[in-house]
Amino acid sequence: MRYLALLLSVLLCGCVKPPLYHSQSYVFGTLVDISIYGETDERAATLANHVQQDLQNLHRSLHAWKPASADQLSELGQVNAAFAQGRSLAVAPDLAAMLVDARQLSSLSDGLFNPAIGHLIGTWGFQRDEFSAQPIATLAIQKWQDAKPSMADIVIEGERIRSKNSAVKLDLGGYAKGYALDRAVAYLRQQGVQHALINIGGNIIAMGQHGDQPWRVGIQHPRLPNAMATLDLPDGWAIGTSGDYQRYFMLDGQRYCHIIDPRTGYPAKHMQSVTVLVPPQAVGKAGAGVLSDVASKPLFIAGVTQSEHYAHVFAIQDYLLIDDTAAAYASSSLAKKLHWLAKPAKLTTISQHAQP
Amino acid sequence: MLNLKSIHKHLLLGDWLVLLLAALLVCLSFLSLWQNAPAAKVQISLADKVYATYSLNQAREIHVRGPLGEAVIQIAKGKARFAKSPCSSQYCVHQGWLSKAGQVAICIPNQISLALVGEAKPYDTLNY
Repeated sequence: MRYLALLLSVLLCGCVKPPLYHSQSYVFGTLVDISIYGETDERAATLANHVQQDLQNLHRSLHAWKPASADQLSELGQVNAAFAQGRSLAVAPDLAAMLVDARQLSSLSDGLFNPAIGHLIGTWGFQRDEFSAQPIATLAIQKWQDAKPSMADIVIEGERIRSKNSAVKLDLGGYAKGYALDRAVAYLRQQGVQHALINIGGNIIAMGQHGDQPWRVGIQHPRLPNAMATLDLPDGWAIGTSGDYQRYFMLDGQRYCHIIDPRTGYPAKHMQSVTVLVPPQAVGKAGAGVLSDVASKPLFIAGVTQSEHYAHVFAIQDYLLIDDTAAAYASSSLAKKLHWLAKPAKLTTISQHAQP
Repeated sequence: MLNLKSIHKHLLLGDWLVLLLAALLVCLSFLSLWQNAPAAKVQISLADKVYATYSLNQAREIHVRGPLGEAVIQIAKGKARFAKSPCSSQYCVHQGWLSKAGQVAICIPNQISLALVGEAKPYDTLNY
C-alpha cells in the first residue's frame, strides 16, 4: 500500500499545472499565438489581450489594400494615394521611422527586399484575402517593371514624406509581422514580463524561457503537414521563414508563390523555404523581429549560391534553405542547433568562413 | 469454492503460461503504443477560443461554423483532418491527415485550427 501511494504521488506530479498561459487569436490578418510563462493566468490574459488589441490597430493602419473604414483609407493607403499623385504628406513619427528602417534594409539587400512593389504584388493577385489562379497579366507586369519602383525613391523629411516615382506603392507584407513582434516584446518587457513566446503568422520571438528549459520551436516542412525540425530559441532571438507554401496558386501545373522577385517581376521559384534565426541586435537599429521577417526574403529570391552573402549582410549565422528540388542546405552554425524530426534525403552543410 | 490464497495451488502450467503471455502483451503494447508520441486528442479552436477537444480514438465528423461558413473536421483511427472548408485557398484541406502530437492545421480565412495534443509535445510553437 505504501508503494502504491508512492507510485501515485510520482504519477500525479505530472498533473500539477505549470504557470504557462497560452492564447491564440486571429488578428493582424493571421494567427497570433502568445505563450506567457511565470505570470498568473489573469494577468497574462490581460497582457495578451492588450498585445492583440495593439496588433489589430497596427494591422488597420498598415494594411496595404483594405481601407480603415468605409470612407477612410488606412494610413498606408493614404501614403500610397499621395505617392501616386506626386503629393507629399505628413505621417505619424512611428510610420516615418518604419519607412527609414525599411529603406535601409532594402538597400542592404540590393533591392531584393523591396516593399515599394505593391503594384506588382497587386497585379499578381496577392493583395486579396481570398485569391485564386488567374491568367498572368504580362503587360501590366512589364509596365510596373519598367517604372522601377524602389524604396530609394522615397524622400523622408522629418514627418513629411513623398515619392519621386509615382509607381511606388508600399506593401509592408514582408516587414509588418516582424515589426509587430518587436513591438509586442517591447510592451511585455515594459510590463515586467520575463518569459514569453510570441508567434505572429509563423514569425516567432522569444523572451526568457519556458520554465527551466529554453523555448522550443518547430520548423514547418514546406511540403508535409509536419514540423521537419526543432530548435531552442534563446532569450531575445527570433526566427522567420519565407516559403512558397503559405500564399501561392497553381496554374498549368506550375506554382506561383507570393514572393515576387523585383528583378523580374515574377514570383521567385528557386526555393521551397528559407528559415533565418536572428540574434538580438543583429544589424543596425532593426529589431530581431523585423530582421526575422525581412532577411529571409533576399535569401529566398537570390537562391542557394548567394545565400551566404546576404546572410552575412544581415549578420545572420544561422539559416536553412530548402531548394526547389527539396535539397536542404544548413549553415554549419545552424546545423549544430537543429534537431531533425524528418531529415531531408539530401542535406548539405554550408561551411562558414570566419567573417570579418 | 476457491479462495485467493489457495488459487495458485490449482493453477496448471498452461495457466501460468497464459498469465505470463498476458503480462508480456501488456508490456509490449505499452511500449509500442507510447512510442513516437502518437496524439491522443485533437483540439479544435475557433477564433480565440478552444471550441472542443475530442479523442482521436473514434470515427466521427464534427461540423464547426466559422466566419466564412461551415467546416467539416473528420476524425478516424487516431488521425484528424479538415475534410471540407468554405475557404477558397483550401490550404487547410490540402494539409491532409494529422496524426502526431504537435501537428497543426490552420485555416486562417475561416479562423479554425486543429492541433493534435499528446503526452509529449515536441515544441512550444511552430515557425512557418
